[in-house]
Amino acid sequence: MNTSLFRDPLTLATAIVVLIAFLIPLFVGSNLYYLTVLVLMLIFIIYASAWNFLTFSGQGSLGHAAFFGLGAYGASLMAARLGLPSILTLLFGGIFAAVIGVLIGLTCVRLREWFLAMVTFGFAVIIQTLVVSQLAPVTGGWDGFPVPKLVPSGIQGSLMIEYYIILIITIATIILFRWLLKSRIGLALAAIRENEIEARAAGINPVPFKLFAFGVSAFFAGIAGSLEIAHFGYVTPEIFGIDLSFWPIIYSITGGLGTLAGPVIGTIVVTLLWDGLNAMGLTYARFIIIGVLLVLIIIFLPKGLVSLPAEIRKRMKRKDT
Amino acid sequence: MDVSISILSQVAFWGLYSGCIYILLATGLNLIFGVMKIVNFAHGEFLMLGTYITFFLFVITGFNPYVLLIGSVPVLIVAGVIVERLCFRPILGTGKLNEIFISLGLIYIFQNMVALIWTDEWRSMKSPFSDITIALGPVQLPLDYLIIIVVTAVILVLLHFFLKRTPIGKAIRATSQNRKGAMLMGINVEKINMLTFGIGAGLAGAAGTLWAVSGQVFNPYMGSIPAIKGFAIIILGGLGSIPGAIVGGLAIGMVENFTAFTLGGSWKDAVSFILLIIILVVKPTGLFGEDEE
Repeated sequence: MNTSLFRDPLTLATAIVVLIAFLIPLFVGSNLYYLTVLVLMLIFIIYASAWNFLTFSGQGSLGHAAFFGLGAYGASLMAARLGLPSILTLLFGGIFAAVIGVLIGLTCVRLREWFLAMVTFGFAVIIQTLVVSQLAPVTGGWDGFPVPKLVPSGIQGSLMIEYYIILIITIATIILFRWLLKSRIGLALAAIRENEIEARAAGINPVPFKLFAFGVSAFFAGIAGSLEIAHFGYVTPEIFGIDLSFWPIIYSITGGLGTLAGPVIGTIVVTLLWDGLNAMGLTYARFIIIGVLLVLIIIFLPKGLVSLPAEIRKRMKRKDT
Repeated sequence: MDVSISILSQVAFWGLYSGCIYILLATGLNLIFGVMKIVNFAHGEFLMLGTYITFFLFVITGFNPYVLLIGSVPVLIVAGVIVERLCFRPILGTGKLNEIFISLGLIYIFQNMVALIWTDEWRSMKSPFSDITIALGPVQLPLDYLIIIVVTAVILVLLHFFLKRTPIGKAIRATSQNRKGAMLMGINVEKINMLTFGIGAGLAGAAGTLWAVSGQVFNPYMGSIPAIKGFAIIILGGLGSIPGAIVGGLAIGMVENFTAFTLGGSWKDAVSFILLIIILVVKPTGLFGEDEE
């Protein structure tokens, strides 16, 4: 490997994080609680990154739980009714979410800001309603149904195997996002985000690109959803809940909107904070603390935690002069 | 046939009454949007706070719950002023997504503060008039619903006079028509922002009191859905238009109750979103919205 690669502090930091991610189960692996926290953290890193990908195209969503849940239901129905292994149905969950995502995207491409926010929020409510009413014979209504686990719990160290499978999926997802953003597609998305009219003038038709972003984002949200359900082994319509739409937003904002590292850092920090507060026995107060954190970050650190080093350097410089 | 007509008019009447609560929410949102050009997704939390304050005052004082409007509205006005000053003023003009995100934080804060104080179980309260119905032809109208419709009308008339006749009301209208112009005329627009936000929250508080009095159940998480319906209404009725909000509110109330009656109760919430999506697909800037670019 080229040693000069590691002179770049960002690459070095990434390498260290990946290394830690691979080694950490060796230290905490015997504690199933910690391992579960880590597994869920990875799943939400995928989910938050998927949500964040949408913002690269200048769009946003207040109802991503729709895709998270659609992926979960798509994969679970395949796994439970057809008996296919979870690792295969995962892909189907993602594709199912992506197809619906593009269809929903078709209604959204012309909308801006909070119209878009409301429509995406609305779709999550509509899909949940469908699942518990007209589709209840297939979906089991509010009761849901049991789903085969990703790794059958009978196997020795099943949770550890699950962790590594999900870790590899997570890394692959982020590498793919990075590659997409560096490609011509990523440049076109950036152009559309910065100024849609100028992008049009430069010969970029925003509609297919925006739909593409919607599809990719929904695909990975769907994968994350099917992973979560395959981890718990049970699916209920609560997966379409408002909370699950808000979490990826909170993670991405805390970490830094519109950066690849943002959702990862945000998910890690907020999940650790969340579980720490949980361990302290705070039930409602932890939501209040997360809410206050969100408000403070938006006001004082609008670019998220990733901009913290640069902000500190700027403050120091100002003090010097 | 006679029966079905009476049932239909009963459903229409329910729509009218539930529309009233949406009208109050939507009017507040509309005022705030007009002046500040922002959208507060946490507006439903003011409604929720209103129901709890009404509930709390009702339990400790035992007054007639309609009188408690005197309590819930001022408390919510103060809450609105504080929220505007602390959360929305610092981010004004920093991008439309920020105001959505900051409202998410506010939603968490309000919901769980209330849950911390009053727990998160479903609650309801009973109005002293809950047994009284008035027969109007074949239809039995609960007295409470009638009072709610009248109270809403009175609040809207008062608001109308406040906006048209008083100096502060005129300043609010001036700011919402032309912010820079208002500033040049010596209006302190930041103060107007705060006041408008307070009035909007106060209207939501009044809606909260009416919600509680009508006997509907509430818990700390009930605010989000009515608030989003409030947005659907202002998209339907036109941004910044108060008559539009009234027509839109009644329309949503009616559609909702007729849907619940025909498709089943679980569609009550989803149908207003379907309506909203259809409208936005046809006209992405809203029914009466103007193209910005």
